[in-house]
Amino acid sequence: MSKLNSHGHEKREQHKESSKSGSFLSRLKDFYIKDYKKLFLIIIGLTLLSIVSIIYTYSQVGDFTRRDVSLKGGVSLTITTPYSDINTLESFLIEKFPESSIILRTLSSGSQVKGIIIEASDVQDKELMDAVQEKIGKIDKENYSVEIMGSSLGESFFKEMFIALALAFLFMGLVFHFYFRNFYVTFAALLSAFLDIFITLGVMNFFGIRLSAGGIAAYLMLIGYSVDTSILLSTKLIKEKKDDSDKALFGAMKTGLTMSAAGLAATTISFFLANNIILKQIMLILIVGLLIDILTTWIGNVTLLKVYLEKSNKKNRP
Amino acid sequence: MSKLNKLLTNTRIWIYIIFFVLTMLAINPNPFNKGVAIRTVTLNNSAYLAGMQSPSPSDAPMNRERIIEINGQSVANMDDYETIISGLLDNSSLFIKTEKSKLGLITESKTYTILLSSKDNLGLKVYDAPKSNILLGLDLQGGTRVVLQPETKLAPEDVDILVKNMQERLNIFGLSDTVIRVANDLANNQFIVVEIAGANEEEVKELLSKQGKFVAKIGNESVFVGGKDITYVCRTAQCSGLDPQYGCQQTSDGSYACRFMFSITLTTGASEKQAEVTRGLDVVYEGMGEGYLSQSLDLYLDDSLVDSLRIGSSLRGNPVTDISISGSGAGRSRQEAATATLESMKKLQTVLITGSLPVKLTIIKTDALSPSLGKEFLRNAILIALLSEIAVTAIVILRYKKIKVAMPIITVITSEILLILGISALFKQNIDIAGIAGIVVAIGTGVDDQIVITDELLHHGKKEKDEESYLTYSQRTKKAFFIVMAAFFATVASMIPLLFAGAGLLKGFAITTIIGVTNGVLITRPAFAQMMEILLEDDEE
Repeated sequence: MSKLNSHGHEKREQHKESSKSGSFLSRLKDFYIKDYKKLFLIIIGLTLLSIVSIIYTYSQVGDFTRRDVSLKGGVSLTITTPYSDINTLESFLIEKFPESSIILRTLSSGSQVKGIIIEASDVQDKELMDAVQEKIGKIDKENYSVEIMGSSLGESFFKEMFIALALAFLFMGLVFHFYFRNFYVTFAALLSAFLDIFITLGVMNFFGIRLSAGGIAAYLMLIGYSVDTSILLSTKLIKEKKDDSDKALFGAMKTGLTMSAAGLAATTISFFLANNIILKQIMLILIVGLLIDILTTWIGNVTLLKVYLEKSNKKNRP
Repeated sequence: MSKLNKLLTNTRIWIYIIFFVLTMLAINPNPFNKGVAIRTVTLNNSAYLAGMQSPSPSDAPMNRERIIEINGQSVANMDDYETIISGLLDNSSLFIKTEKSKLGLITESKTYTILLSSKDNLGLKVYDAPKSNILLGLDLQGGTRVVLQPETKLAPEDVDILVKNMQERLNIFGLSDTVIRVANDLANNQFIVVEIAGANEEEVKELLSKQGKFVAKIGNESVFVGGKDITYVCRTAQCSGLDPQYGCQQTSDGSYACRFMFSITLTTGASEKQAEVTRGLDVVYEGMGEGYLSQSLDLYLDDSLVDSLRIGSSLRGNPVTDISISGSGAGRSRQEAATATLESMKKLQTVLITGSLPVKLTIIKTDALSPSLGKEFLRNAILIALLSEIAVTAIVILRYKKIKVAMPIITVITSEILLILGISALFKQNIDIAGIAGIVVAIGTGVDDQIVITDELLHHGKKEKDEESYLTYSQRTKKAFFIVMAAFFATVASMIPLLFAGAGLLKGFAITTIIGVTNGVLITRPAFAQMMEILLEDDEE
């Protein structure tokens, strides 16, 4: 354990220097270095809020998140049409099929409406299509898509998500442990990845967004992204054993934040421009997840590693 | 040595360049590819009889046969084709000129003379000539996907039989651009995924899910079954179609019903079985003329009665091999009834030829995807990829403020997108909407790694100032690669479960992401690191 030194004395000197210079940024840095435990309250707060959001969703829909037809079973109809009065169409369809749950959305590219997306459960696709055509006129076969998901497949797909996530965590843990050979460091990285996903899910629930099959891919990807920044952090803080761990931390942070900014730039552009709902959802989850990851990595994971460094330091000093 | 020289003599950079050229050859882009590509040539129709053939689904898009001229008029796209086809007349001749590229270099030209008895009998399905070998997923080009689950889990040899049988059914039905594959999920369920490119073919659902167990019974005795007992099923106009004696008639409730008939030939074994069973039957006379046997021939498809045929008395104990099969269909109008009747005739003929599937199947998911929506999504996806790249570029320039640093990053991102597309084309892997998301993500992680490498190279102190902790460029690269490799394994680890989960429906995303990151660590990142080392060298000297 003697390998890990944080050179506490030098650090304190440096802080004095930076607080003297007194700029906002340096005060912020100072706060970040000294009061990281206070910052950790943000993570705890977000986690608690997410628990509330998820429990609330559970009490409402009997599941920890709302699901769309691709994970529940049902019909999804996408029509290219200039017709855009979805409210009228929605009430018409609800009246026609009182037993089923029907949700309408417009398909737009930029600000232009290109079509309508109708999701319905417990209804035959033919009947639904007939009803829609009754209201908005004949639609050519070329111009609509019908996707029907059997409820058993939707259900099993949903369950598979957990297995896939659990396996992804397991594999990731193995990779991490192979690299760092340190249970605590691996645990810290996995915990911050888990919190990233958990809080993102809480945020999605809060806004009532229904998870689709494509969204599962996004959550899995999120683990990858989240672990990327954790690897960077753990390498700089633990593996490379710098004399000045704070300087190493800020170096890693600069790199990490550039990475997040690049990821956010790509996903935000894609989110706003995409006209496909699967793509839109994947991008939305990634955007929220990347933002949360900044907190879970640079506050959460950092705090856990610092506590570890301090403890192993104390052990090494009488 | 000048920097350019150094760049051009570096092995890793050469590997990157050669690999890039190879993948470009795999994509084989040609924005000026003219004509309409042949998707399907329907068996026994005019085009087929003139010698035209359906492409094999394994043909790369750019190697498919394209129609470039009809009756001396050039065909540049679907619009031209449709204009010419709509002007065709019955009993006319058609001269079709086609082209087919081989190995991307030689072009083989063919001319077909088609005798068209009826203008509806051409039997060709075509689509706009592809502009590259990139294979688009169904959601981007339109098509039909049916996911089926066998009632019981199949052994590998039964899966083969099943897939062959389904493929044959689709071919006989007139669809050739199809892919049938077996998928599993993490709970070890088995699925059969059938994908039919290009068209919204809802009618095939039934054809695929029907086990197609056809049995002809007299009383309780089975006489012959579909597939093995039948040597020939007539599908030409001479011996199959709407029953001329009955045709279509209005029923009491105002709708219409029609009857179809077609002839089949039985094996001698089956005809003898029939003779034996009928031998013991009585002859019943109803009014004048020929009598009928006391029991009829009942046709069952998947255990439900399709039709019951009366057997003429002359057939008693007589081993005939040619018999005629009939059935019916209904609809709201005469036209609708006729179409439905012919449709069910076609399905029955198909299962009589192919025999039954080894297991009962349940449809658990169907997607009928619109080609025009697909086009819209594709246009959108290209725009997204371009603009995301520009956005990432902007971030990189903002951060490093040096063109020398930003340029290699941008070059590498662009080439990585093309590399993902090229490798996908090479391995005949579809790019679908989830795959596009994978590409956007790969742009993101790709740039992540390059940022790590760049930062390692840029921020390691000056040699003279800090002798001890000074690292050479290759030592810094090594450190950066520690992080890059760990991130690579982590990403792959998170994608692996998706390859096997949920009937492979998100496989596209997982595969493009894995291709993207693998190609990254093996080819582009090493080249990128070398490029950066060479470009940054002077700054320190």
